[in-house]
Parts: sequence; C-alpha cells; structure tokens
Amino acid sequence: MVSLHRTIRSIRRVGLREWWRQMQYIGDAKSGTYVGKDQFGNRYFENRNAEEEIPGRHRWADFAQHDFNATQIPPEWHSWISHIRKDPPTNDPVMQNLSPPWKAPYVENLTGTRGAYKPYNTVVPKINAWEPKVKARA
Amino acid sequence: MFSRPRLVLGLQPRIFIKPSVASARTALVARRLISNSTCSHAEHNHQKPKLEHLSSGIEERLAHSAHLLEPEHDSQGNELNAYRHGPSALDKAVHLFFFTEIIRGMWIVLENFFRPPYTIMYPFEKGPLSPRFRGEHALRRYPSGEERCIACKLCEAICPAQAITIESEARMDGSRKTTKYDIDMTKCIYCGFCQEACPVDAIVETQNQEFSVENREELLYNKEKLLSNGDRAEAEIAANLHSDHVYR
Repeated sequence: MVSLHRTIRSIRRVGLREWWRQMQYIGDAKSGTYVGKDQFGNRYFENRNAEEEIPGRHRWADFAQHDFNATQIPPEWHSWISHIRKDPPTNDPVMQNLSPPWKAPYVENLTGTRGAYKPYNTVVPKINAWEPKVKARA
Repeated sequence: MFSRPRLVLGLQPRIFIKPSVASARTALVARRLISNSTCSHAEHNHQKPKLEHLSSGIEERLAHSAHLLEPEHDSQGNELNAYRHGPSALDKAVHLFFFTEIIRGMWIVLENFFRPPYTIMYPFEKGPLSPRFRGEHALRRYPSGEERCIACKLCEAICPAQAITIESEARMDGSRKTTKYDIDMTKCIYCGFCQEACPVDAIVETQNQEFSVENREELLYNKEKLLSNGDRAEAEIAANLHSDHVYR
C-alpha cells in the first residue's frame, strides 16, 4: 500500500471487489484503463499517468489462474507487457499481419509437471547394440 | 581535557624505558648465567596499561604541537599564525563532512520513506525489454510453413561455447535440411552470434527469458523443441525483426 490517497482513489475507481482481488494478487491497489484480454482470460491494464503510476509499473496483468506464473502470458502480450511494443496486439497491425496461419497454440512453461519437455534424439543412433543373428542350422 | 594525561601516558614510556632497556641489555651481555638470570615467563604487565595502542590517535593529531609551540608575536604584539595550535582546516572539513554525511544519508532514507516504491511487482508488471533482447532460442519457418534452416552450420561454427550440434541430410526433393539441431542451453552464453551468423534468419533468440526448468536435462533442446518455440512465438519474433529492420 503506497499511500492512503492512492489507495482510496483506486478503490473509488475499480470498486471494492476488484480492489480485494488486487490486494490478494498484486498486493497493491492499482487503477487504469482496461487494454485487453488474451486467449487464456488474463486481463491487461494500463495507466500512463505518471502522477499515478511510476513509469515501469504502468502496464500490468491480472492473471486468470490462481496459480499464476509469468509464462502464462502469451508471446504477443508478452511483448506488450515487457514494453517491447507500444500498442497491444489487439490493435497492433504489424503483430496481426505477421501472425502466420500455422501459429501453434501457446503453452506455459510446464517444467515440474508431466508435460515437461524431455530431450530425445532426432536422428538414428550411431551406436547400436549388437544383436546376434543365429543362422538356421542346415 | 583528556588529551593531556593520555599524551603523558604516551610519552612517558619512551622517555623512561629506553635508558632502562639499554642498561638491561648491557647487563645481560656482561654476565648471562642461568644461575643469576631470572625466569622469563610471560606475565601480565600490571604497571602500565597500554592505552595508547588502542586509541586512534586522533586527539594527538588534532592537538598536535599544542603543548610544544609557544605563541609567536611580532614587534607590535600581534600574534602570528594564530591557528597553528588548533586542528588544521582539512581536519575540520573532514570531520564536518563525515559527521554530516550520516545525517544526509538518513535524510535520503526519510525522503524515500514517503515516496511511492520503485518496486516492479514482477509477474504482474515487467521491466522493459529490448526487441533485440537475447533469450530462449527458436527456429523459425517461412510464411509457407517450410522450416528456414538450410544446415549451413555457420551458427555451429561461430558458437563460442560450442553449444550447437547439427547434422543434416538431403530430402527427397533435394533440399538440404537438418535432421539434428541440438542446442545445449546449459552451455549457451546468449551472445547472439548464431542469429547474426544465420543467412536465412532461421535461428533467433526470442525475448522469452522465462524458460527456467527444474531439471538440467530439460535444457538440452533438440530441433523439435526449437521449432515449437518458433511456432508459438512467431508473431512476436517477426514483429521485433520488423521493428528493427531499419537498423540492420
């Protein structure tokens, strides 16, 4: 909680319910404009008023899952929330035009679960075990 | 007030012990016999507590020569060089600077106590990244869906950590493609030489830095993992390359 004034201002803007949710997750009362929502239901907000938000904290995500982690943000929104691109992917023509039809669905970092990546060889192994072949007896 | 007895304590041993030590040495040299030399175990020196070794000597330096120099007067009776008995201007300036430094430092703490914190609440808010940020690797495809890598092995050759392993074969249509494209991410130093060496922009480093894993094994990426990274993040990669193409 930064200051009482800021907290009361944010509560008046976002409402008590949203403020309670923010305190449970972000731990700070923030208010800004709703920018968009990705395919997983994560919501993204922005407040570019430098008097209200410190530059660097002016874009934030509200994760849909309770068990949140940073990799749940898909790459398009990742480049927005990391301040790589100015516009959100919902109205960024470059991002939309360069999105190929064969784009694979995004999955978060699955390490520690059964879906984690396990390395394997993509070529025929060069060293094989000897398998003796017994010739049929005459 | 305190410097005077301490100075006396500091000066006395030098004055009094030196002749006594010299006389003792001559006596020892003269006749040094076990029968008449005393036993020399280590003992506590009860006579003179050595306070002068524990003090930093700042009082002596501040009051240097205060008791030695007489005030000089000229013919009219004015005192010459009145400040030579006190501490020097440099000493006073240093003391003022170092004492007020504490207060000035505490003032900065107090100021920041009432300011909003600069902390970026990480998973919700993220610090700025460059579109040229070098993170996890990915293999890209052409817009048609064909994989870009032509197995020229330039990235393998330039990799300073020798983290890349490539094997290639010719396909049925005659095009040379990789059959094995392994990057050992535990070896990789993220220098970005591979994406600079690549003639077809196939291997790139994406802006994803959140690929931490629980096993070392999971960092041994093979070709399919790299291709799937590229398939997922192609829009972001292409947009970053587009935003930077003017400067390349």
